Amino acid sequence: MSEALQQVKDWILKRHPDREDIPGDLDLIENRLIDSLSFVEFVFLLEQHCGRPIEMETLEVDAIRTLDAIDANFFRAGVK
Amino acid sequence: MPAHPTAGGGGPGWANLGMDIVSVKRVRRLLEDHGEGFFERMLDPGELADCRTSSGLDLLSLCGRIAAKEAAFKTLRVRGRFLPWRDIVVRRSDGGWPLVELRRGAADMAAQSGITDITVSISHDVDYAVAVAAPILGDPSGLRP
Repeated sequence: MSEALQQVKDWILKRHPDREDIPGDLDLIENRLIDSLSFVEFVFLLEQHCGRPIEMETLEVDAIRTLDAIDANFFRAGVK
Repeated sequence: MPAHPTAGGGGPGWANLGMDIVSVKRVRRLLEDHGEGFFERMLDPGELADCRTSSGLDLLSLCGRIAAKEAAFKTLRVRGRFLPWRDIVVRRSDGGWPLVELRRGAADMAAQSGITDITVSISHDVDYAVAVAAPILGDPSGLRP
C-alpha cells in the first residue's frame, strides 16, 4: 500500500475508532465510513495527497467506494 | 455507475420527501480544523453571507443550510453520485424562509425526474439542525419513460 493511500486509510480509521482495519474492497459508503459531510473533507484530503483538484460535482461514488478504487483512480492513474 | 434519477418511480403525482440532520459538533470541528474557507466548497458566497452574523459564521445557520442541501438532494433519488453541494443553493428569502435554487447538474437531475422546484424547511436547536424537503412536480406526462 502506498504512503498516500495509507494516510487516507488512517484518516478514515481516526474518525471511526470502532474499526481496527479497512480491507481494500470494503464498501466505504454502504458501511457509512464516508457520508455527504465527510465526503467534502475527504475530497479535500485526496486533493492534497494526489496533487490535483477533484471536481466534487461530477465525481461518481464508485471512484471512492473502496480503498482499492481510490488507489486505482487517484494514486496509480495519471490525470483522469 | 451513471447518475440515475428515479424520483418519478411511484407514478403520477408521486413525490419523495428528503430529510437530513446535521450535528453542530461535526461542523464545528470542520470549522476549527480548516477555517471558513473550507465551507466555500459547500456553499456559495450568498449562502455564506446568509449564515454570517456580526460575530462571524453562525454554526446553527451553517448546519441548517447543509441539512437543507442534503434533504433537497434526497428528493432527487440519484444513485451513484454524491451531493453536488454547490449546485443546490439554499438562500434566505425576504420573509426569512429558505428557498432552494437548483443549478447545473442538480437542475439536470431534477428535470429528468420531472421536478420543477424543491421546497424545504429547516429547524435547529442547540446541537443539531434538521431539514425536510419536498419536490414540486411538473406535468407528469413530461416524465421520461
